[in-house]
Amino acid sequence: MALPRTQAAAILISVAGIAVSIYLTVLHYAGVVPACPASGAINCEAVLSSRYAVLGTTGIPTSALGIAWFAVSAALWTRPPGRMHLAWSAAGLVAVLYLVFVEIVVVGAICLWCTAAHALVVALVVLSLSPSGRGA
Amino acid sequence: MSAKRQAPVRKQASSGRKTPMRKPVAGTPGWVAPAAVVAGVALLVAAFLVIRWYMTPTPPPPLSSDSTAVVVNQITTLPSSEFESIGQGTANNLIKPVSGTPLTGATGKPQVLYIGAEYCPYCAAQRWALIIALSRFGTFAGLKTTSSSSSDVYPNTPTFTFHGATYTSQYIDFRAVETSDRDQNPLDTPTAAEQQLFNKYNPAGSIPFVDFGNRYSFTGAMYLPDLLSGASWQAIADELRDPRSAQAQAVIGSANLITAAICKTTSDQPAPVCSSAMIQGLEKKLG
Repeated sequence: MALPRTQAAAILISVAGIAVSIYLTVLHYAGVVPACPASGAINCEAVLSSRYAVLGTTGIPTSALGIAWFAVSAALWTRPPGRMHLAWSAAGLVAVLYLVFVEIVVVGAICLWCTAAHALVVALVVLSLSPSGRGA
Repeated sequence: MSAKRQAPVRKQASSGRKTPMRKPVAGTPGWVAPAAVVAGVALLVAAFLVIRWYMTPTPPPPLSSDSTAVVVNQITTLPSSEFESIGQGTANNLIKPVSGTPLTGATGKPQVLYIGAEYCPYCAAQRWALIIALSRFGTFAGLKTTSSSSSDVYPNTPTFTFHGATYTSQYIDFRAVETSDRDQNPLDTPTAAEQQLFNKYNPAGSIPFVDFGNRYSFTGAMYLPDLLSGASWQAIADELRDPRSAQAQAVIGSANLITAAICKTTSDQPAPVCSSAMIQGLEKKLG
Protein backbone atom coordinates (compact mmCIF):
# COMPACT_ATOMS: atom_id res chain seq x y z
CA MET A 1 0.00 0.00 0.00
CA ALA A 2 1.38 3.39 -0.93
CA LEU A 3 2.15 5.78 1.92
CA PRO A 4 0.16 8.99 2.18
CA ARG A 5 1.90 11.90 0.53
CA THR A 6 2.87 13.64 3.80
CA GLN A 7 4.52 10.52 5.18
CA ALA A 8 6.35 9.84 1.92
CA ALA A 9 7.60 13.44 1.81
CA ALA A 10 8.76 13.28 5.44
CA ILE A 11 10.67 10.05 4.80
CA LEU A 12 12.34 11.58 1.74
CA ILE A 13 13.32 14.66 3.74
CA SER A 14 14.70 12.47 6.53
CA VAL A 15 16.78 10.47 4.04
CA ALA A 16 18.14 13.72 2.60
CA GLY A 17 19.02 14.80 6.16
CA ILE A 18 20.84 11.51 6.77
CA ALA A 19 22.82 12.03 3.54
CA VAL A 20 23.88 15.59 4.47
CA SER A 21 24.80 14.51 8.02
CA ILE A 22 26.82 11.53 6.78
CA TYR A 23 28.67 13.83 4.34
CA LEU A 24 29.61 16.23 7.16
CA THR A 25 30.60 13.38 9.49
CA VAL A 26 32.81 11.71 6.90
CA LEU A 27 34.54 15.04 6.12
CA HIS A 28 35.09 15.61 9.85
CA TYR A 29 36.91 12.33 10.30
CA ALA A 30 38.80 12.80 7.02
CA GLY A 31 39.92 16.26 8.18
CA VAL A 32 38.61 17.82 4.98
CA VAL A 33 36.62 21.03 4.66
CA PRO A 34 33.39 20.76 2.60
CA ALA A 35 32.98 22.60 -0.67
CA CYS A 36 31.84 25.98 0.63
CA PRO A 37 33.07 29.60 0.64
CA ALA A 38 35.77 30.16 3.28
CA SER A 39 35.66 33.87 3.95
CA GLY A 40 33.01 36.31 5.03
CA ALA A 41 29.69 35.40 6.60
CA ILE A 42 29.38 32.10 4.75
CA ASN A 43 32.24 30.02 6.07
CA CYS A 44 31.85 26.28 6.64
CA GLU A 45 35.49 25.99 7.72
CA ALA A 46 35.01 28.46 10.58
CA VAL A 47 31.89 26.68 11.82
CA LEU A 48 33.14 23.13 11.40
CA SER A 49 36.52 23.87 12.98
CA SER A 50 34.97 25.61 15.99
CA ARG A 51 34.78 23.87 19.34
CA TYR A 52 31.01 23.63 18.91
CA ALA A 53 31.35 21.29 15.94
CA VAL A 54 31.95 18.40 18.32
CA LEU A 55 30.05 17.13 21.33
CA GLY A 56 31.89 18.46 24.37
CA THR A 57 35.32 16.88 24.62
CA THR A 58 34.30 13.61 22.98
CA GLY A 59 35.51 14.50 19.50
CA ILE A 60 32.23 13.14 18.11
CA PRO A 61 30.98 15.56 15.45
CA THR A 62 27.59 17.20 15.98
CA SER A 63 26.63 15.89 12.54
CA ALA A 64 26.71 12.35 13.98
CA LEU A 65 23.78 13.36 16.17
CA GLY A 66 22.11 14.57 12.99
CA ILE A 67 22.43 11.10 11.45
CA ALA A 68 20.74 9.57 14.51
CA TRP A 69 17.99 12.20 14.64
CA PHE A 70 17.09 11.90 10.93
CA ALA A 71 17.22 8.08 11.12
CA VAL A 72 14.74 8.03 14.02
CA SER A 73 12.62 10.56 12.14
CA ALA A 74 12.57 8.37 9.01
CA ALA A 75 11.53 5.37 11.10
CA LEU A 76 8.80 7.36 12.87
CA TRP A 77 7.28 8.59 9.62
CA THR A 78 6.79 5.05 8.33
CA ARG A 79 3.92 4.98 10.83
CA PRO A 80 0.82 7.18 10.76
CA PRO A 81 1.51 10.65 12.19
CA GLY A 82 0.84 11.34 15.83
CA ARG A 83 2.09 13.12 18.91
CA MET A 84 5.41 11.28 18.85
CA HIS A 85 6.20 12.81 15.45
CA LEU A 86 5.42 16.26 16.79
CA ALA A 87 7.49 15.76 19.95
CA TRP A 88 10.48 14.42 17.98
CA SER A 89 10.28 17.31 15.51
CA ALA A 90 10.04 19.82 18.37
CA ALA A 91 13.19 18.35 19.96
CA GLY A 92 14.95 18.68 16.61
CA LEU A 93 13.80 22.27 16.25
CA VAL A 94 15.18 23.20 19.69
CA ALA A 95 18.56 21.69 18.74
CA VAL A 96 18.53 23.56 15.42
CA LEU A 97 17.79 26.87 17.12
CA TYR A 98 20.70 26.31 19.51
CA LEU A 99 23.05 25.48 16.63
CA VAL A 100 21.93 28.50 14.61
CA PHE A 101 22.52 30.66 17.70
CA VAL A 102 26.05 29.26 17.96
CA GLU A 103 26.70 29.85 14.25
CA ILE A 104 25.46 33.43 14.13
CA VAL A 105 26.18 34.82 17.60
CA VAL A 106 29.18 32.82 18.83
CA VAL A 107 31.14 31.87 15.70
CA GLY A 108 29.83 34.66 13.47
CA ALA A 109 29.57 32.52 10.36
CA ILE A 110 27.07 30.32 8.57
CA CYS A 111 27.86 26.86 7.27
CA LEU A 112 25.82 26.16 4.14
CA TRP A 113 25.80 22.40 4.63
CA CYS A 114 24.67 22.77 8.24
CA THR A 115 21.97 25.18 7.10
CA ALA A 116 20.74 22.59 4.60
CA ALA A 117 20.34 20.08 7.46
CA HIS A 118 18.63 22.73 9.62
CA ALA A 119 16.19 23.56 6.83
CA LEU A 120 15.31 19.86 6.52
CA VAL A 121 14.53 19.73 10.25
CA VAL A 122 12.27 22.78 9.93
CA ALA A 123 10.56 21.14 6.94
CA LEU A 124 9.84 18.06 9.10
CA VAL A 125 8.44 20.30 11.85
CA VAL A 126 6.16 21.97 9.30
CA LEU A 127 4.99 18.58 8.04
CA SER A 128 4.29 17.32 11.56
CA LEU A 129 2.20 20.44 12.22
CA SER A 130 0.26 20.29 8.96
CA PRO A 131 -3.31 18.92 9.16
CA SER A 132 -2.33 15.68 7.43
CA GLY A 133 0.80 15.42 9.53
CA ARG A 134 -1.27 15.69 12.72
CA GLY A 135 -3.44 12.87 11.54
CA ALA A 136 -6.39 15.22 11.00
CA MET B 1 -41.90 42.02 19.75
CA SER B 2 -43.26 38.77 20.92
CA ALA B 3 -41.64 36.49 18.46
CA LYS B 4 -38.72 34.65 20.04
CA ARG B 5 -35.58 33.94 18.24
CA GLN B 6 -35.14 30.23 17.98
CA ALA B 7 -32.07 28.19 17.39
CA PRO B 8 -32.11 26.31 14.14
CA VAL B 9 -33.22 22.75 14.68
CA ARG B 10 -32.81 19.57 12.80
CA LYS B 11 -34.83 16.46 13.04
CA GLN B 12 -33.24 13.37 14.46
CA ALA B 13 -34.28 10.50 12.33
CA SER B 14 -34.19 7.92 15.09
CA SER B 15 -35.84 9.57 18.04
CA GLY B 16 -37.67 12.35 16.35
CA ARG B 17 -36.45 14.76 19.05
CA LYS B 18 -35.55 18.23 17.98
CA THR B 19 -31.97 19.18 18.98
CA PRO B 20 -30.28 22.50 18.40
CA MET B 21 -28.10 22.45 15.32
CA ARG B 22 -24.54 23.54 16.03
CA LYS B 23 -23.72 26.82 14.46
CA PRO B 24 -20.82 26.28 12.10
CA VAL B 25 -17.66 27.84 13.57
CA ALA B 26 -14.67 28.61 11.39
CA GLY B 27 -11.73 26.56 12.79
CA THR B 28 -8.10 27.71 12.66
CA PRO B 29 -6.90 27.04 9.14
CA GLY B 30 -4.41 24.18 8.90
CA TRP B 31 -1.63 26.36 7.54
CA VAL B 32 -1.49 28.64 10.58
CA ALA B 33 0.60 26.41 12.86
CA PRO B 34 3.32 25.59 10.28
CA ALA B 35 3.43 29.23 9.17
CA ALA B 36 3.75 30.36 12.79
CA VAL B 37 6.73 28.04 13.28
CA VAL B 38 8.46 29.31 10.13
CA ALA B 39 7.78 32.92 11.15
CA GLY B 40 9.04 32.23 14.67
CA VAL B 41 12.26 30.70 13.35
CA ALA B 42 12.77 33.69 11.02
CA LEU B 43 12.23 36.11 13.91
CA LEU B 44 14.73 34.27 16.11
CA VAL B 45 17.34 34.26 13.33
CA ALA B 46 16.80 38.02 12.92
CA ALA B 47 17.24 38.46 16.69
CA PHE B 48 20.48 36.43 16.60
CA LEU B 49 21.80 38.68 13.81
CA VAL B 50 21.02 41.78 15.86
CA ILE B 51 22.74 40.29 18.94
CA ARG B 52 25.77 39.45 16.80
CA TRP B 53 25.89 42.97 15.41
CA TYR B 54 25.89 44.41 18.94
CA MET B 55 28.55 41.97 20.12
CA THR B 56 31.02 42.55 17.27
CA PRO B 57 34.04 44.42 18.66
CA THR B 58 34.96 47.62 16.88
CA PRO B 59 38.34 47.64 15.13
CA PRO B 60 40.94 48.93 17.58
CA PRO B 61 42.97 51.89 16.28
CA PRO B 62 46.52 50.81 15.32
CA LEU B 63 49.15 51.53 17.96
CA SER B 64 51.73 54.26 17.52
CA SER B 65 55.19 53.07 16.49
CA ASP B 66 56.48 53.64 20.04
CA SER B 67 53.69 51.59 21.62
CA THR B 68 54.13 48.91 18.95
CA ALA B 69 57.84 48.71 19.78
CA VAL B 70 57.00 48.21 23.46
CA VAL B 71 54.57 45.37 22.69
CA VAL B 72 56.90 43.70 20.18
CA ASN B 73 59.77 43.94 22.65
CA GLN B 74 57.58 42.41 25.34
CA ILE B 75 56.57 39.38 23.27
CA THR B 76 60.00 38.77 21.76
CA THR B 77 61.87 38.75 25.06
CA LEU B 78 59.88 36.12 26.89
CA PRO B 79 62.02 34.10 29.32
CA SER B 80 63.10 30.68 28.06
CA SER B 81 61.67 29.18 31.26
CA GLU B 82 58.21 30.11 29.98
CA PHE B 83 58.74 28.27 26.69
CA GLU B 84 59.97 25.26 28.64
CA SER B 85 57.07 25.18 31.07
CA ILE B 86 54.37 25.49 28.38
CA GLY B 87 55.68 23.05 25.77
CA GLN B 88 52.92 22.42 23.22
CA GLY B 89 50.35 23.95 25.58
CA THR B 90 46.90 23.88 24.03
CA ALA B 91 48.17 24.38 20.48
CA ASN B 92 46.93 22.02 17.80
CA ASN B 93 49.90 20.56 15.94
CA LEU B 94 49.18 21.21 12.25
CA ILE B 95 52.77 20.83 11.06
CA LYS B 96 53.24 18.03 8.53
CA PRO B 97 56.47 16.74 6.96
CA VAL B 98 56.79 17.48 3.24
CA SER B 99 59.36 16.49 0.66
CA GLY B 100 60.91 18.67 -1.99
CA THR B 101 64.06 20.48 -2.98
CA PRO B 102 65.32 22.27 0.16
CA LEU B 103 63.94 25.80 0.15
CA THR B 104 66.61 28.41 0.71
CA GLY B 105 66.55 32.19 0.71
CA ALA B 106 68.71 34.74 -1.09
CA THR B 107 71.55 34.17 1.38
CA GLY B 108 71.45 30.39 0.99
CA LYS B 109 70.07 29.78 4.47
CA PRO B 110 66.96 27.63 4.98
CA GLN B 111 63.91 29.72 4.23
CA VAL B 112 60.66 29.99 6.14
CA LEU B 113 57.94 31.09 3.71
CA TYR B 114 54.71 32.59 4.99
CA ILE B 115 51.73 33.34 2.73
CA GLY B 116 48.71 35.00 4.32
CA ALA B 117 46.59 38.13 4.29
CA GLU B 118 45.78 40.94 6.68
CA TYR B 119 42.00 40.34 6.54
CA CYS B 120 42.37 36.67 7.54
CA PRO B 121 41.60 36.03 11.25
CA TYR B 122 43.54 32.75 11.31
CA CYS B 123 46.61 34.56 9.95
CA ALA B 124 46.06 37.20 12.66
CA ALA B 125 46.17 34.55 15.37
CA GLN B 126 49.13 32.68 13.89
CA ARG B 127 51.31 35.79 13.41
CA TRP B 128 51.68 36.19 17.18
CA ALA B 129 53.21 32.71 17.40
CA LEU B 130 55.32 33.20 14.26
CA ILE B 131 56.80 36.46 15.54
CA ILE B 132 57.61 34.92 18.92
CA ALA B 133 59.18 31.81 17.37
CA LEU B 134 61.14 33.61 14.63
CA SER B 135 62.46 36.10 17.18
CA ARG B 136 64.31 33.23 18.84
CA PHE B 137 66.37 32.91 15.63
CA GLY B 138 66.65 36.56 14.55
CA THR B 139 65.21 40.04 14.76
CA PHE B 140 62.20 41.77 13.25
CA ALA B 141 62.08 45.45 12.35
CA GLY B 142 59.19 47.52 11.08
CA LEU B 143 56.33 45.40 12.41
CA LYS B 144 53.08 47.36 12.53
CA THR B 145 49.84 46.57 14.32
CA THR B 146 46.66 45.80 12.43
CA SER B 147 43.53 43.71 12.93
CA SER B 148 41.69 41.17 10.81
CA SER B 149 38.67 42.09 8.71
CA SER B 150 35.59 43.53 10.42
CA SER B 151 33.31 41.49 8.18
CA ASP B 152 34.93 38.06 8.45
CA VAL B 153 34.66 35.49 11.23
CA TYR B 154 36.47 36.41 14.46
CA PRO B 155 36.28 40.06 13.34
CA ASN B 156 38.94 42.62 14.25
CA THR B 157 41.35 40.09 15.77
CA PRO B 158 44.35 42.18 16.91
CA THR B 159 47.62 41.25 15.26
CA PHE B 160 50.66 42.57 13.37
CA THR B 161 51.35 42.70 9.66
CA PHE B 162 54.46 41.36 7.96
CA HIS B 163 53.88 43.78 5.07
CA GLY B 164 56.74 46.29 5.16
CA ALA B 165 58.56 44.49 7.98
CA THR B 166 62.08 43.10 7.70
CA TYR B 167 63.72 40.13 9.39
CA THR B 168 67.38 39.32 9.84
CA SER B 169 68.89 36.10 11.17
CA GLN B 170 72.15 34.26 10.90
CA TYR B 171 70.32 30.93 10.78
CA ILE B 172 67.31 31.35 8.47
CA ASP B 173 65.70 33.60 5.90
CA PHE B 174 62.11 34.62 6.36
CA ARG B 175 59.94 35.60 3.42
CA ALA B 176 56.42 36.87 4.12
CA VAL B 177 53.72 37.51 1.53
CA GLU B 178 50.62 39.35 2.73
CA THR B 179 48.42 39.07 -0.36
CA SER B 180 45.71 41.54 0.77
CA ASP B 181 45.09 44.22 3.36
CA ARG B 182 42.30 44.00 5.94
CA ASP B 183 39.81 45.36 3.40
CA GLN B 184 40.92 42.74 0.85
CA ASN B 185 42.78 45.20 -1.38
CA PRO B 186 45.85 43.61 -3.05
CA LEU B 187 49.19 43.99 -1.23
CA ASP B 188 52.05 41.58 -1.97
CA THR B 189 52.29 39.08 -4.81
CA PRO B 190 54.01 35.71 -4.40
CA THR B 191 56.62 34.79 -6.99
CA ALA B 192 55.78 32.03 -9.45
CA ALA B 193 57.95 29.62 -7.44
CA GLU B 194 56.22 30.56 -4.18
CA GLN B 195 52.81 30.16 -5.79
CA GLN B 196 53.87 26.74 -7.03
CA LEU B 197 54.88 25.67 -3.51
CA PHE B 198 51.61 27.05 -2.14
CA ASN B 199 49.62 25.00 -4.67
CA LYS B 200 51.74 21.89 -4.18
CA TYR B 201 51.59 21.65 -0.38
CA ASN B 202 48.24 23.34 0.08
CA PRO B 203 45.81 22.15 -2.62
CA ALA B 204 42.84 23.57 -0.68
CA GLY B 205 44.40 27.05 -0.97
CA SER B 206 43.95 27.85 2.75
CA ILE B 207 45.80 30.66 4.51
CA PRO B 208 47.94 31.12 6.44
CA PHE B 209 50.40 28.78 4.72
CA VAL B 210 53.88 28.33 6.18
CA ASP B 211 56.67 26.31 4.58
CA PHE B 212 59.78 25.47 6.63
CA GLY B 213 62.51 24.96 4.03
CA ASN B 214 60.38 22.40 2.18
CA ARG B 215 60.79 20.01 5.10
CA TYR B 216 57.60 20.85 6.97
CA SER B 217 54.55 22.97 6.25
CA PHE B 218 51.21 23.83 7.77
CA THR B 219 48.06 25.72 6.90
CA GLY B 220 45.58 27.35 9.24
CA ALA B 221 45.89 28.47 12.83
CA MET B 222 46.98 26.27 15.71
CA TYR B 223 44.42 27.88 18.01
CA LEU B 224 41.13 29.71 17.50
CA PRO B 225 41.34 33.48 17.03
CA ASP B 226 38.50 34.10 19.51
CA LEU B 227 41.10 33.72 22.24
CA LEU B 228 42.33 37.20 21.28
CA SER B 229 38.93 38.72 20.56
CA GLY B 230 38.25 42.17 22.00
CA ALA B 231 41.66 42.42 23.70
CA SER B 232 44.22 45.15 23.08
CA TRP B 233 47.74 44.31 21.87
CA GLN B 234 49.11 45.33 25.24
CA ALA B 235 46.60 43.16 27.10
CA ILE B 236 47.53 40.16 24.96
CA ALA B 237 51.24 40.82 25.48
CA ASP B 238 50.62 40.97 29.24
CA GLU B 239 48.70 37.68 29.15
CA LEU B 240 51.55 36.05 27.23
CA ARG B 241 53.85 36.74 30.20
CA ASP B 242 51.64 34.55 32.37
CA PRO B 243 52.30 30.88 31.45
CA ARG B 244 49.01 29.85 33.04
CA SER B 245 46.88 32.11 30.84
CA ALA B 246 44.83 30.58 28.04
CA GLN B 247 46.51 32.95 25.58
CA ALA B 248 50.02 31.89 26.61
CA GLN B 249 49.12 28.20 26.50
CA ALA B 250 47.87 28.58 22.91
CA VAL B 251 50.25 31.19 21.47
CA ILE B 252 53.47 30.02 23.15
CA GLY B 253 52.47 26.40 22.49
CA SER B 254 52.16 27.27 18.78
CA ALA B 255 55.46 29.17 18.89
CA ASN B 256 57.20 26.12 20.37
CA LEU B 257 55.89 23.88 17.57
CA ILE B 258 57.11 26.40 14.98
CA THR B 259 60.44 26.64 16.79
CA ALA B 260 60.83 22.85 16.64
CA ALA B 261 60.12 22.86 12.88
CA ILE B 262 62.68 25.63 12.31
CA CYS B 263 65.26 23.79 14.45
CA LYS B 264 64.81 20.80 12.14
CA THR B 265 65.77 22.95 9.15
CA THR B 266 68.76 24.60 10.87
CA SER B 267 70.29 21.34 12.12
CA ASP B 268 69.37 22.38 15.66
CA GLN B 269 71.02 25.80 15.54
CA PRO B 270 71.20 27.88 17.69
CA ALA B 271 71.89 25.32 20.37
CA PRO B 272 70.53 27.35 23.30
CA VAL B 273 67.12 27.29 21.60
CA CYS B 274 67.08 23.95 19.82
CA SER B 275 68.83 21.71 22.33
CA SER B 276 66.26 22.08 25.06
CA ALA B 277 64.56 18.83 26.05
CA MET B 278 61.16 20.35 25.31
CA ILE B 279 62.06 21.38 21.72
CA GLN B 280 63.75 18.02 21.14
CA GLY B 281 60.58 16.33 22.28
CA LEU B 282 58.47 18.40 19.89
CA GLU B 283 60.92 17.68 17.05
CA LYS B 284 60.29 13.97 17.60
CA LYS B 285 56.54 14.62 17.40
CA LEU B 286 56.98 16.35 14.04
CA GLY B 287 58.55 13.20 12.63
